[in-house]
Amino acid sequence: MRSRSEQSVVREPQVASMIENVEKVVVGKRKEIELSVIALLSGGHVLLEDVPGVGKTMLVRAIAKSLGANFKRIQFTPDLLPSDVTGVSVFNQKTMEFQFRPGPIMANVVLADEINRTSPKTQAALLEALEEGSVTTDGQTRELDSPFFVMATQNPIEYGGTYPLPEAQLDRFLFKFKIGYPTKQEELDVLNRVEKKHPIEGIKPVLTLANLVEMQKKVVDVYVDETVKRYIINLVNSTRKHQSVYLGASPRASIALMKAAQAYAYIQGRDFVVPDDVKYLAPYTLQHRILLNSDAKLSNQTNERIVQDVIDQVSIPVGNETAR
Amino acid sequence: MKRLNGQQSFSITHLFIYVLAFLLLWEWLRPIPTVSDTGHIDVFVWFAFFSAVLIYLRFPFKVTLPALFVGTIFCLNFIFTQESFFSREGGLETLRIFVSDVIYNFQLIFSWELASLTNSFRTFLLFMLLALICYLLYFWIFHTKKIFFFLLSTVIYITVLDTFTPVDASMAIIRIIVIGFFILTLLHMLKVQEEEKAIKRKSGTFISTSWMYTLIFMVLIATAVGYAAPKYEPQWSDPVPTLQRYVLGESGSGTGSINRVGYGEDDERLGGGFIQDHNTVFYAIAPDSSYWRGESKHEYTGHGWTSEPLEYESTSLFEEGNVDYYMFFDSVEVEEREVRIMMEEDVSFNHLFYPGQLINVNVGSIAFDVEVDNANMEDHLPLTFMTDANSGKITSYSRLEERVMLKEYQLYYEYPMFSLNDLRNSTGEDPERIQELYLQLPDDLPARVGELAEEIIADYDNRYDQAVAVEQFFSENDFEYETANVPIPDDGQDYVDQFLFETQYGYCDNYSTAMAVLLRSVGIPTRWVKGFTAGEEIEELGGGMNRYEISNSNAHSWVEVYFPEVGWVPFEPTQGFSNNVEFYEEEEEDLEIDVGSIEEEESDEETPDRDDLLPEFDDMLEESEEAMAPGTGGTPTSEEWFTPKNVIISIVILIMVMLFYQNQNKFQNRYFIMKYNLLGKDEKFMTAYDRLLWILENEGLPRGEGETLREYASRVDLVLSLRAMQQLTEAYEKVYYGGKEASGDWKKQKSQWEEIIKTLNKH
Repeated sequence: MRSRSEQSVVREPQVASMIENVEKVVVGKRKEIELSVIALLSGGHVLLEDVPGVGKTMLVRAIAKSLGANFKRIQFTPDLLPSDVTGVSVFNQKTMEFQFRPGPIMANVVLADEINRTSPKTQAALLEALEEGSVTTDGQTRELDSPFFVMATQNPIEYGGTYPLPEAQLDRFLFKFKIGYPTKQEELDVLNRVEKKHPIEGIKPVLTLANLVEMQKKVVDVYVDETVKRYIINLVNSTRKHQSVYLGASPRASIALMKAAQAYAYIQGRDFVVPDDVKYLAPYTLQHRILLNSDAKLSNQTNERIVQDVIDQVSIPVGNETAR
Repeated sequence: MKRLNGQQSFSITHLFIYVLAFLLLWEWLRPIPTVSDTGHIDVFVWFAFFSAVLIYLRFPFKVTLPALFVGTIFCLNFIFTQESFFSREGGLETLRIFVSDVIYNFQLIFSWELASLTNSFRTFLLFMLLALICYLLYFWIFHTKKIFFFLLSTVIYITVLDTFTPVDASMAIIRIIVIGFFILTLLHMLKVQEEEKAIKRKSGTFISTSWMYTLIFMVLIATAVGYAAPKYEPQWSDPVPTLQRYVLGESGSGTGSINRVGYGEDDERLGGGFIQDHNTVFYAIAPDSSYWRGESKHEYTGHGWTSEPLEYESTSLFEEGNVDYYMFFDSVEVEEREVRIMMEEDVSFNHLFYPGQLINVNVGSIAFDVEVDNANMEDHLPLTFMTDANSGKITSYSRLEERVMLKEYQLYYEYPMFSLNDLRNSTGEDPERIQELYLQLPDDLPARVGELAEEIIADYDNRYDQAVAVEQFFSENDFEYETANVPIPDDGQDYVDQFLFETQYGYCDNYSTAMAVLLRSVGIPTRWVKGFTAGEEIEELGGGMNRYEISNSNAHSWVEVYFPEVGWVPFEPTQGFSNNVEFYEEEEEDLEIDVGSIEEEESDEETPDRDDLLPEFDDMLEESEEAMAPGTGGTPTSEEWFTPKNVIISIVILIMVMLFYQNQNKFQNRYFIMKYNLLGKDEKFMTAYDRLLWILENEGLPRGEGETLREYASRVDLVLSLRAMQQLTEAYEKVYYGGKEASGDWKKQKSQWEEIIKTLNKH
């Protein structure tokens, strides 16, 4: 896959200004910012798998600030309880009533840090929120704020003291990607910026939440031709048939890929999806949704490689060939 | 992978190759009727077709096998009975006979009596073989994807048949080569496509149009050039004698003057080498091959042969019992046959050539010419035929005593079959006249010739075995067949003596003269006969008749030996030739046959057609001499092809073809530019873009399987240093993926389109 760093494809002005804004804080991570924005626009959530200190928090905070949105951070620890995430009802002795005290999940933008360090029970509470857009406490289902965007991070699983997320739950995240270390030049840039005052302090909102909701509606209107839909299905299907794959991507993956592609087309100022959009997003959408079989693991195959394999194999719908 | 293979098996390309392979199989069947007495070859072809279809459709074996069996029975019924297959007397009866036949033949097989298998069972086996071959072809094409072995065997099969049998494969070999080119190229295409699939560039097999155009074009060119190009005459002599020669070893050198082979008149001075001449002398339509007798000579001079003419006039021409020249007694078993002889243009013999015992000439069939210009043929009729009772030469004269050139005539003759018993038991005295004429020897014949003859025949007590012993003497003592470098004996040297004791190589004159002289020296009457060998069978005419072509190189000489109460029996002493006369042995006779005679028991159709040879001083063949290159051994017609004009024309054509091939894409692209110019409408944009993709692929810039149009377009633009492809692609995407109407900006798109094509053409 060709590197796309050389071209800035964002043509949607509001999105462009937002990305620009975030870039004041996060240096040299344009692609990751774009992906985050795509997830935001298509109503999905992002899982970052990375070591601490590469700017995950800064990324999500910058996004939240650019939107003027309500931002919460949940630091997942082994002793964190589900109610610490969703909120708890407390008895108010003045009113003699139970009063719900919302947990940190009740925000527009949430950073769920190191989710693989907490117990599965707490993970489940978070993941329900991701999927349903609501939480249930004390038998009562409470709608979350809208828009609602979670950026979860997890330590690479080989680090000790973790509860790896089950594959079924990984499926809830639209994208999974890494941020990675900056280059030396970028790191120098980072130092220069934070020398006096941290740039996050200076971030001003460039959009309102209403703008975001409006954009999310426009994203849904982006046209996806049947040929492109077929291409998406072929891609997802091929992961199921791949010889190294034990469990392929689900239909939820197809939906995710299509929605993400719509958002991606939208930020490029296009009102229809081209296979390039799908192809570009496929790795981030599919990698965490497949399980390799033991043979493939033994032969040091990686999910990245398998997905790339599938992408290279599946033919792009072009011209009269689709008639076949 | 397996699944993919399964899909391909039904691709149209495979079917196409399978059909071509079937055509090759057909080529195997075609010559069978010529080389064997198999009839109904069309039935076999249809059966092969039937099996090929069954196998291709991949029915399960439980369907295919019974179907093939029923097909076999149907064909057997068709070939061996007259009844309809669907009647009780037809199919059922055939089946019943077939079953008993199979049982009977299996018994034969188990007792290893393969020669007595019945015809219907052999036919059945051939059907099974055909079905198996069809399956094998299927396997070769669909599984191993290799057919070269089959093609090679076909070529070898056809060439061997062409060389050693009357089969004329000159068109067959062209067909085979054309089919073979197609098969090999298509199989190669399949392999290439498979490789592309392995690297994920293509998903399926298909017939690539560019590939097909190129293929058809190249095959046509190759075939046309191959067909029309100048070809050398065979550089090796006919393989049959050549092979024999290689087996027998190379010969030494000798000297002698060079002559051309042919039928000459003057045999007084024999010897000297000669060169080949394959010009046709005459064609004969006859039921069987036989030697063509011109005349015999009876007086050996020590250097050659002469004959004292003793002519009788036969005006009425051999009315029944009025033959002037008898060769056999009535006791010889004969078969009456007829032959029609047609002389080639420019060949002028005034005497007849005939096989066996001539008994009649069809006067009405005679066509002739005279040497006088503008002669009225009527004036020359009737023709007079003079028979030389000593030589058997039958010469025609016109009424006006002009020299006659016979063009065509029909003869009736008796084909003799000699009983070995009669020959061995022939003990009577030779008539006085025979002794007088045919025992003559020159006074200065060296004594060692006679001594050698005595030695050769010492072990045999009858004339036939003695004659065979002399006939076989040459091959048993490694005499070699040699046409070049044969010396002419000096004045004081005897021709036969030189051959027997010094050179020990030579051609028919040497062998026949030596045999005649050896036998005469032990008191057996012989005479020396001139004529032509059987020639080459070139065509089957039906009704048991064949057309033979007799050329100058068929000129030959042999020996006739006199047997009392039998007559004159031909013998063939020349190395590499076999006697064209039938001998048979009566059953009740003792089985102690001389080994040497066995070889003579059947007539041999494969008489070498080239290597014989009478040096010719010939003024009778008036064909042009320019074609002959002086001093070379071959027939150098190739020389005339290599004129500067022809060479230049060939080179120019070749260059043009190469240029065209190199630039074929440019021509093709120009054509598309024109086409889209003319049809320039918005709706055409999509097809134009698709066409552009096709052209780019043709030009060696194919889009990868998983490559999106944008990636591809930027790659193309990078290669061509353009931006047009990306712009076009953007427009295309809008319509194709965006579900929008074409933008109507055809003018701009067209120029971009043309820009790409033109850049391609420049590259």
